[in-house]
Amino acid sequence: MLSLLRTELRKLLPYRTFWVILGIYVLMLFLILHMGSSVTINGQSAGSNFYKFPDFWMMLTYIASWFNLLLGILIIILVTDEFSFRTFRQQVIDGLFRSEVIAAKLLVVVLVAFFATLVLTVLGLGFGLVYAPNISAEKITGNMMYLVYYFVQALGYMSLAMLFGFLLRKNGLAIIAFLVFSKIIEPILRFPLDDQLDQFFPVKTFSSLTPMPGQDILDSALGASVALSPQQAVLPAAAYILLFVGLSYTLLKARDL
Amino acid sequence: MANVLEIQGLSKNYGSVTALQNLSLQVPQGSIYGLLGPNGSGKTTTLGIVLDVLKASAGTFQWFGQPYTGTVKRSIGAILETPNFYPYLSAYKNLQIAADIKKAPHSDIPQVLEMTGLAARQNSPFRTFSLGMKQRLALASALLGNPEVLVLDEPTNGLDPQGIADVRNLIRNIAAQGKTIILASHLLDEVEKVCTHVAVLQKGILKAEGNVSNILAQQDQVLITVPQPEKALSLLQNLPFVESIKTEREWLQLVLKNGYSSTDINKTLFENGIVASQIMVRKKSLESQFLEIVNK
Repeated sequence: MLSLLRTELRKLLPYRTFWVILGIYVLMLFLILHMGSSVTINGQSAGSNFYKFPDFWMMLTYIASWFNLLLGILIIILVTDEFSFRTFRQQVIDGLFRSEVIAAKLLVVVLVAFFATLVLTVLGLGFGLVYAPNISAEKITGNMMYLVYYFVQALGYMSLAMLFGFLLRKNGLAIIAFLVFSKIIEPILRFPLDDQLDQFFPVKTFSSLTPMPGQDILDSALGASVALSPQQAVLPAAAYILLFVGLSYTLLKARDL
Repeated sequence: MANVLEIQGLSKNYGSVTALQNLSLQVPQGSIYGLLGPNGSGKTTTLGIVLDVLKASAGTFQWFGQPYTGTVKRSIGAILETPNFYPYLSAYKNLQIAADIKKAPHSDIPQVLEMTGLAARQNSPFRTFSLGMKQRLALASALLGNPEVLVLDEPTNGLDPQGIADVRNLIRNIAAQGKTIILASHLLDEVEKVCTHVAVLQKGILKAEGNVSNILAQQDQVLITVPQPEKALSLLQNLPFVESIKTEREWLQLVLKNGYSSTDINKTLFENGIVASQIMVRKKSLESQFLEIVNK
């Protein structure tokens, strides 16, 4: 496992695309958090309330969830690159098992999810400590569980992206399919179905992990929308992650390289 | 001697196209085994299957009499079709990745770069390499970990004459250490110069297999003109070492059995009172031999 990770790092660390995409992710989050205090709600500037612990963690992970697609695109590029460079083929010839090919990419997914969660933690603490009113240790750690939910969510989107990469092998095609599935096809499929059922669709499940702050208030005003709570979504999300990784392996095993 | 690779009844279909049809062959240990055939004859398909990247539609194969596992794989160094590397990484870093996967010591890297003449360019990114240099890097990567068997698919593709000579020398040197080499090529001349054994493929069908000297036998033609062709003809037809005889205008065209030459013909004619006015030896071209084999 460790040697697989070391080999993946040899590929990733000198790869500019990898750093550019992660850089965009960090920069976008930073800018949005920076502007956060000037968000106006009901004609009032949110001001320092935006950063108020413990709710800030929920806001932070909700904002970060918009950029999971970016992380997914990164994973698709890393997977499809190896098809277009034919390096998967060469590495299987050189002695790698197909299961190790999948395991290596899964390690990258975990690594990126870990990196993203770490960035959120640092940004959250940074902005929170500087701007939030009434800081106490208890408040700060209050909703930190959302960071764990975000970690699972990032794994989820990236494992779905990985599946599209292994399925389609071409980067442009896989990226489009991933975005179209997440943003268009799944919502259309969900549309005619019963709410009880559609809360278990993969993208819906993943997005339930980081609900929009104030959703509960909206719900009480407009009638409850049915969605899993973050706690409830963790298990189904984990099941989807296993399924997507398993399908990727099945595809790789069944086809010519 | 034991066989390094045994293939039984291998077939491969791509949809309705049959790329390989019921191929069986054995690669003896220590041989330089040539897979010869025109483009699209199934050479790469065969190698792809035995290297575990293509799925066979039917048939089985064993390396060293065993199924293909991780350890067996790592004792084989292989190039299939194209040199496959990360374009943005240097030659050296690409070889580090390959060495990781082959579980070969990184101390092999300078040595294989030296052997393939790439030491001076080891820190340049792969994408800046010419086709010939990419091919050499693929060869360097195949040599990592000092494998027992080398599988090389068109290894001289894209090389200049000096590069071709270098690679062929390298192959002979490696073979001299008792290693087995499997070489796919569409160049008859290459197989003839380098290989000890050959299998000739066409449209996925095995046309001939055996020692290079048997399959690509140099049966030269001897052409003579004599003043009395009828007499010479009746004499030559009864000679035990004449395989066939044809007349073409004033020429008699003879094909001799192995081990006989134009000298024997000249001597026999002279002893029987016939003096040839012309004797000529015409080498049969490799291409015509090849066409003879595949059109059999």
